[in-house]
Amino acid sequence: MVIIPATTGQMGVLPGHVATIAELKPGVLSVHEGNDVKKYFVSSGFAFIHANSYADIIAVEAVPVDQIDSAAVQKGLADFTQKLNTATTDLEKAEAQIGIDVHSALNAAITG
Amino acid sequence: MASNAAVPFWRAAGMTYITYSNICANLVRNCLKEPYKTEVLGREKVHFSLSSWKEGKPLKPVVRSDTAKE
Repeated sequence: MVIIPATTGQMGVLPGHVATIAELKPGVLSVHEGNDVKKYFVSSGFAFIHANSYADIIAVEAVPVDQIDSAAVQKGLADFTQKLNTATTDLEKAEAQIGIDVHSALNAAITG
Repeated sequence: MASNAAVPFWRAAGMTYITYSNICANLVRNCLKEPYKTEVLGREKVHFSLSSWKEGKPLKPVVRSDTAKE
């Protein structure tokens, strides 16, 4: 079973899942094989679940969760929270919000 | 029959998906432990030359290169 971080929420995928295309949000993709779980953090992207029970995950960056540096995540979260307060244009606000979303998701990945 | 479902905040701010996705990837790369971080930072390097044309003649091209030759 695979749990994918779709924009509509965590989605569990088992063999036989209906064919689906899901947009992903920054978050943890976990692959469960029996009792073995492998967790990857995906930066964003898409998941294509095919009718023959194959699933493709398309992401610009997908890293094993143990490669994430906790100190960098905390610093990033603090920096972007600060940036959101000082942002003026819509674009700056959007960029700061993206920073907060990604770092929050990274934080949840390493502490979860 | 277009739906009026809420657009994501980044699109409302005028950003395209590809820009959003690249920003997210960039942020994730910068949060990695060494040695993984130095391995992946190579993916952020871009190299391009952009030429504008005016009245049938090319203007001076804009060149951006992160792959500086030593």
